[in-house]
Amino acid sequence: MRGIVLAVLIAGPVTAQDTPTKAQGLAAWDDMYSVTSHPRCTNCHVGKGGIPMWNGLTYGADAVHGMHVQAGDSRVGAETMPCRTCHIGVASANATPHAPPMIDDAWRLPPAELAWLGESSQDICVQLRDPETNDGFDMEELATHLEASAFVAWGFAPGAGRSTPPIGLDKMIAALNLWASAGTPCANDP
Amino acid sequence: MKLTVNGKTYDVDVEDDMPLLWVLRDELGITGPKYGCGIAQCGACTVHEDGVAVRSCQLAASDVVGEITTIEGLGTPNALHAVQEAWIDLQVAQCGYCQAGQIMQAASFLDLNSEPTDDQIDAAMSGNLCRCGSYLRIREAVKTAATKLRAV
Amino acid sequence: MGRVKTIARRSFLIGSAAIAGGVAFGTYLYKREGENPLLADLKPGETALNPYVKIDAQGITLITPRADVGQGAWSMQAHMIAEELDIDPATATLSPGPASAIYYNGVVGAEGLPIAATSDTLLARTGRDAVDVAGKLMGLHITGGSSTVPDMYDRLRMAGAVARETLIRAAMKQTGLPRDQLRTENGCVVLPDGLRIEYLDMAVAAADIEPVQDVTLRDPSQWRYLTKPQKRTDMVAKSTGTLTYGIDMMMDGMVYATTRTNPALGGGLIGFDAEAAQGMRGVRSVLPITGGVAVVADNTWRAFQAAQAVECDWGPSPYIGNTDEQFDAVANSMTDDHQDSRFKDEGDVVAALDGADVIEVEYRIPYLAHAPLEPMSVVVKMSQSRLDIWTGTQIPRFVQANMAKLTGMDAGNIHVHVLMSGGSFGRRLEDDYIAQAVEIAMQLPDTPIKMIWQREEDFSHDFPRPLAMAHAKGAVKSGALDAFDLSIAAPSVAESSLARLGQPAIGPDVAIVAGAWDQPFAIPNYRVTGYRTPAMVPISSWRSVGASGNGFLHESFMDELCHAAGVDPLAERLRLCWHDPSRKVLEAVGEMSDWGSDLGPNRGCGLAFTLAFGVPVAEVVEVLSTDDGIRIDKVFVAADVGRVLDPVNFEAQVQGGVIFGLGHAMNCELTYRDGVPEQDNFHAYEGMRLYQTPQITVRGLENGNKIRGIGEPAVPPAAPALANAIFAATGQRIRELPLSKSIDFI
Repeated sequence: MRGIVLAVLIAGPVTAQDTPTKAQGLAAWDDMYSVTSHPRCTNCHVGKGGIPMWNGLTYGADAVHGMHVQAGDSRVGAETMPCRTCHIGVASANATPHAPPMIDDAWRLPPAELAWLGESSQDICVQLRDPETNDGFDMEELATHLEASAFVAWGFAPGAGRSTPPIGLDKMIAALNLWASAGTPCANDP
Repeated sequence: MKLTVNGKTYDVDVEDDMPLLWVLRDELGITGPKYGCGIAQCGACTVHEDGVAVRSCQLAASDVVGEITTIEGLGTPNALHAVQEAWIDLQVAQCGYCQAGQIMQAASFLDLNSEPTDDQIDAAMSGNLCRCGSYLRIREAVKTAATKLRAV
Repeated sequence: MGRVKTIARRSFLIGSAAIAGGVAFGTYLYKREGENPLLADLKPGETALNPYVKIDAQGITLITPRADVGQGAWSMQAHMIAEELDIDPATATLSPGPASAIYYNGVVGAEGLPIAATSDTLLARTGRDAVDVAGKLMGLHITGGSSTVPDMYDRLRMAGAVARETLIRAAMKQTGLPRDQLRTENGCVVLPDGLRIEYLDMAVAAADIEPVQDVTLRDPSQWRYLTKPQKRTDMVAKSTGTLTYGIDMMMDGMVYATTRTNPALGGGLIGFDAEAAQGMRGVRSVLPITGGVAVVADNTWRAFQAAQAVECDWGPSPYIGNTDEQFDAVANSMTDDHQDSRFKDEGDVVAALDGADVIEVEYRIPYLAHAPLEPMSVVVKMSQSRLDIWTGTQIPRFVQANMAKLTGMDAGNIHVHVLMSGGSFGRRLEDDYIAQAVEIAMQLPDTPIKMIWQREEDFSHDFPRPLAMAHAKGAVKSGALDAFDLSIAAPSVAESSLARLGQPAIGPDVAIVAGAWDQPFAIPNYRVTGYRTPAMVPISSWRSVGASGNGFLHESFMDELCHAAGVDPLAERLRLCWHDPSRKVLEAVGEMSDWGSDLGPNRGCGLAFTLAFGVPVAEVVEVLSTDDGIRIDKVFVAADVGRVLDPVNFEAQVQGGVIFGLGHAMNCELTYRDGVPEQDNFHAYEGMRLYQTPQITVRGLENGNKIRGIGEPAVPPAAPALANAIFAATGQRIRELPLSKSIDFI
């Protein structure tokens, strides 16, 4: 897998030999932020409140997930209604509008510290580059996560007419690697 | 494929993607789970897979991995489950069409969380629609059932 | 009218002679004047004591001909018979009985008359008597209009009493003892020495006894079940998944079907290609039906899948197809040539408004779907000589007649087996889905067919509650309401639905103004005018019918005028109210809610009152305005049905009615684009969920002079009480439903 990422990198405008500039890194982050701020991500990256959202669907602005769903401390709704009650943990074409999406993984919210909903580009940037705040990922692991996670894959191909982030998954991975190579710069860095 | 429903094993010959709901209703003649919306908006089809509530209109037959329990297997008129007892004590049902799903949802919830707060009860039960508006008695019956179950 | 009068007179005379209890008609009459439909189908050893009670050595069957759509009608009817028959209703078998003219509804038609429920003039009584007679002549076996209890209260107790006395006669014959030495207790005749003869042991002997006419109904002080908390007879089955709804019926050799007809209503089918569908697993056939196709398969889901795979070429809808244009049509019909009624015209509204500081506002309410949770479904089986239909329906005799017309069969060979309905809210006053299944059966004789609609089909082929608009003008004078002029325009439900039942709709449609024209307030200048919008998409009755929306129109404007006058909305209603039971529900709800107390910041209380189906209902809603939207915290309801027969179910029906009213007011509407309803499942038509449900405190009052039903009356005041509460909490006056178009809810 890592080889593929390198190949993508090599094919990109920046060669493996050159360290990308901070400006190139920041531009790559902007691409990444266009994804992390998209409802396909922010609907679940909601922070410690644990209440998922239904933004970017047909339910209006600032639409909270219906049915008073609460992921709770367990992040899987074990205290109330488990996510899996509706979001079955198996791969699906997800072709039916307004039916619960399903993937080959246990549906759940990301850890509370990975809050993106309503957060600024700067805050998410700082959060994601630090293993202390990004659930323990180094950049290589983060790239692997993007490639391997059924959640991430679904976010880029959610089915049933749901909107997708402005760039595709391959571009997202490329942007991550570029941003990493540039030293994970964030806009307000000194 | 083989399915275990209410303790009995069945061999069914259906497409992989046939929702469990229709296997139960039309192949096995188990009609307690109800069809209401087909897209997990109403909860009338709720059954248990290894004791945990699941919308049987969403669970494809080939993806069933555990033992299935329907309302008929939870308790019977002569041997009621505590949740069913509470539903009867509180006279919850009106048309009753949603109640099998409500009861299965409540039973699974109380199994996972035996001392729920009021807000947790609301969160656990808000995926199940009742068009008649029996919600207040559902809320009370869940509380009553929780007390009954803790006393066991 | 001659014949009507004669029958009315005869009924009255025989009734009053026969029954010392003063009931105007007796079960005795059915023996004499109508055929007991149970006699046609008796098994050996079985005796039908009258059209409502059947007995054999194994048990007693009580016939409960009013449909149970969730309101508890079967259980209540059983309790009414059982009270006089002196049995525990839990020990009886219940059966809805066959479709029969004998089970006519003598009350429901009164809703179509422009006679206020509060009126007790000779003319009003004559009108109601005529409705009873007309219902009887037409054999109007129908459930609706909250009429089950008022229509059946005397009749079923009489039936129970007649059956009891007949069994006592059998015991007299058997023991040689006189009547006054025998009494009954819990399914037995008790002899003076305490010896008990079970009713069941006299099942055969009772067949030879001439039905007793001379019965006295028990004094309410002796009741064991009525007015006491009851255990509904369907509760255990509904809590254990063992009740057979229409959708659950199973038969040997049954096939499964679904239909797909043009979602642009009335547009018809130009052509279809079923090749792909026909090749799908389990598909037996794809058949043309009126306006679309039916797929018959060996499993419902396979039928659903295949139906989606049929490529249909739909015609365009003949109706105004977009909601904006539909509202334009309603607005344009508020003209003299569309005026349908002006049943209320007191004082001189025109003069009072002339020169006054006129408050002039407009309100809108949307189309609403019924969407019972059990989608339309039916099992049919047709052979050369008979057609059997199993389904939840409120209109078994119309089904019989309409299917006779469709098939060319004799109505007597069409057997409608009514099953428990998974909700209705008025949807099962229609038989369109049954006709579709019968069309399939005509092409597949001798095969039991279960037809189920997909939820999407159910939403897009409803006959909704009509949209409406109101233009309201009013004025206040010296801190009091002075002029109230409400003009309501809507398409006519009577015109649309009666045509489908093959009945004429004569005269004005009361439903256009019901719940508005007939309210018991003495506003000095008070006028309510109905305008009939020319027919658009087909529409029908929806829980509480005209009052469902008119309550919002009338009570929102009442609130606006009270605020304009600077008077308390409760105090002003009490000052204006001339109907004592209505005053008392207003007073009660004021006391229950501690009306006028300081609620604290961001809170508000709203009051609304509607008298519908003869039941005055007052509701107070308390809301909290938060950053996340409106939260409904508390509701207080006082309602007067004359006599509360079961306080447990009474409370459930009131709470359910309030939740139904609030939920739809919050977020439900049916809108159209190119003739197709845009809401096709519950994600877009949610109503209330449990976490949004407020505490609802209910009080039943018994000051009314007649007994009434409670399935519907709690619905109309809920929406205006909520809107009025939102105004009190936020200062925002919302004049259009659903409220979610204007404000967020938690």
